[in-house]
Amino acid sequence: MLSDLQLNSILEDFDIAYWKINLFSKEISWSEHFNFLVGKPEIEEDRFEFFINHILHPDYRYDFRIHFEKLIKEDEPFSFEIKLRLDNGKYRWFECKNQKSKTEREFKETAVLLFVNIHQNKRDQYTIEENFFYYRETAEMTSTGGWYVDTVNKNIYWDDVSKKIIDCPRDFQPAYEDRMQFYAEEHHNRMRNAFDKCENFGIPFKLELKMVSFQNREFWVRLTGKPVYNNEQTVIGIRGVLQNIDENKSNELNLQNALDIIATQNSRLFNFAHIVSHHLRSHSSNLSLIVELLRESKTDRDKLDLLANVEDVAGNLDSAISRLNDIVSIQTSLRKEKVTIRFEEALEIVLASISSLINRENAKIVAEFQDLKEIRYIPEYLESILLNLITNAIRYRQPGRKPVIFIQTYVENDKEYLEVSDNGMGIDLDEYGDKMFGMYKTFHQSNPEAKGIGLFITKNQVEALGGAISVSSTIDIGTTFKIKF
Amino acid sequence: MGQKVELACIIDDDKIYVNLVKKIIEIKKLSENLLIYKNGKEALDYFKEIMENATDEDKLPDIIFLDLNMPIMDGWEFLNEFIKIKNSLHKKITLYVVSSSIDPRDLERAKSFNLVTDYLIKPIELKKFEKIFARTAA
Repeated sequence: MLSDLQLNSILEDFDIAYWKINLFSKEISWSEHFNFLVGKPEIEEDRFEFFINHILHPDYRYDFRIHFEKLIKEDEPFSFEIKLRLDNGKYRWFECKNQKSKTEREFKETAVLLFVNIHQNKRDQYTIEENFFYYRETAEMTSTGGWYVDTVNKNIYWDDVSKKIIDCPRDFQPAYEDRMQFYAEEHHNRMRNAFDKCENFGIPFKLELKMVSFQNREFWVRLTGKPVYNNEQTVIGIRGVLQNIDENKSNELNLQNALDIIATQNSRLFNFAHIVSHHLRSHSSNLSLIVELLRESKTDRDKLDLLANVEDVAGNLDSAISRLNDIVSIQTSLRKEKVTIRFEEALEIVLASISSLINRENAKIVAEFQDLKEIRYIPEYLESILLNLITNAIRYRQPGRKPVIFIQTYVENDKEYLEVSDNGMGIDLDEYGDKMFGMYKTFHQSNPEAKGIGLFITKNQVEALGGAISVSSTIDIGTTFKIKF
Repeated sequence: MGQKVELACIIDDDKIYVNLVKKIIEIKKLSENLLIYKNGKEALDYFKEIMENATDEDKLPDIIFLDLNMPIMDGWEFLNEFIKIKNSLHKKITLYVVSSSIDPRDLERAKSFNLVTDYLIKPIELKKFEKIFARTAA
C-alpha cells in the first residue's frame, strides 16, 4: 500500500487536489495541493462558505451546494465541471467528483471530494470547437470540400461540402472504380496522371479542371491532393480539398472571350479605317493630279480630255463609297434581332435572286439540311453568306465542267455548321490562303466580274456574330467553305 | 538636266492614275518610253521573259513605279518574286513603291526591302515626278 505521503505526491503530480470531509462533524480539510492552488488563504469564517464565496465561480454556487448535500447524505458518486479562482486571480476549469466508497455507508467517517485540473483539455476542446466552426464556415463560404482516397483499400471519402459541390445525396458512397466518371472526359488524363504521380511518388498536385456533377452538369473546380504516408513511409492514401470555382472560372472565360472579341473588332476597325482611307485617297489623289495637269495643259483639247477623267473618277468614287457602305452596314445590322430561320427558305430566296445566273451556267445545286434544319441568325446575313458562297462557286467553275454546288448543315460537338462545296477550279491555298478573305483580292485573272469583296463581307458577317469561316481547296477539283456559327 | 530616262515602268491597276502619269511623262518629256502593267504578274512575266532570253538590256526599265494594292498579284508579292530575279538582270533599276495607303505598317514593310528606293504616297506632285526622273537619269 502507498503511504499518504506517497499518494499525495502522486496526486500532486497529476494536478489533483482533494477535500476530506468528516461526515459527522461536517468539517472540511483541504489537501496541501488544494491549499497551494488557491493561494493558501487565511480563513476565519466557515471553510465551506469561504470556498463558495471566494473561490468558486458564482455560476456554480447553486449546483455545488446541491452536490455537496448529496455527498454528505447519500454518498452518491457524481462528477461535474466547475471553475475555481486560483492564486493568480484567474478562473480555471476543474472536474469535481467523488468516488463511491467501498465501505458501507454506516461505517463511513469521511468522504473525499476530488478536484482534477482539466483546464488544458477544456481549452483544447474549445479551440477545436472554434477551429471546427471556422473551418466549417470557411468551407461553406468558399465551397471547399475535403476528400480522402484510401489507395490501399480502394475507398473514397467525401465530406459534406464535397458532396454538396458534386451535388450527390449525403449518404452517397462513391465507388473507387467509378471515380473517373466525376471528371469531364477531356480532363481524365490530367486527373489520372496527377493521381498516379501522387500515389506512386508522393508528388502533390493542384489542378483546375472540369468535374461532372451527379446531375451530369459540368463545372470547374480547383483540386489539391497530397500524399498520406504510413510509418514505413509508403503512400497509403491521398487527401486534399476540392473547391468549386465554376463562377470564377466562367467569369474568367467570359472576360477572356470578351477581350478576344474586342481585340478582333479593334483590329478590324483599324484595318477598315485604313481601307477606307486608302480607297478614298486613291480617287482624291487622282483628282488632284488632274487639277495639276489642267493648270499645265495648253490646248482646249487637252483640257477636255482631262475633264473626261474627272467624270471617271467621280464614277469610281461613287462605287467605292457604295462598297464601303456595304461593309459598314454589317456593323449596323448587328443591332437587328436574331430569328429562327429555316435553311431551306433562306436558300430559296437566294436561288430566286440568282436564277438567271444559275440557268445561264447550268449550275446544279444540291442541299441537305436534314441534320440541322434551322438556326437562330440574322436573316439578311444568312442570305448574304449563301449568296456570296454560291455565286463565288459558280463564278470560279472549272471551264468545261458543269458546276455542281453541294450545301449541307450539321451539328458537331454542339456547334452548328454550314458547308458549301463546289467542283470548281480550286485555289492554291499555299499561295493565297491567308489572303482569301482580304478586301479586293481576286485570284483568277480571267474573271472580269470579280470585285474581290464578297468573301471579305462574308467573313465579316460570320465573325460579327461570333462564328468562324475556313476554307479547304484542291486545284482543279474544287473548294469547300466551312462556317461555324 | 539634259539626260532623259530611257524606259520607265508603271505597275498599277488604276487606269485613271496610269493615264494621268502617262500624260505627265509626255508633257514633261520625262521618259522616252513607257511600260505599263496592270498587276504584278504581268510585269513579272515580262521580266522573266527577258531574263530567260538574256538579250536586250534596252528592254529593261531604268525606273519602276509599283503600286501595292492590285488584283491577282499585288505589290508585295511582286517584290518577293522580283528579289529572286533581280540579280540576273544586268541593269541598275530604281524602284519606287507608290500607294495611296498611309498605313504606317505598309511604309515599314516597304522600307524593309533593300531594292525599294522610297515609298511615295499618292498623289505625287508634278515637281516630285520631275525630281525623281532627273535623279534617275543623272
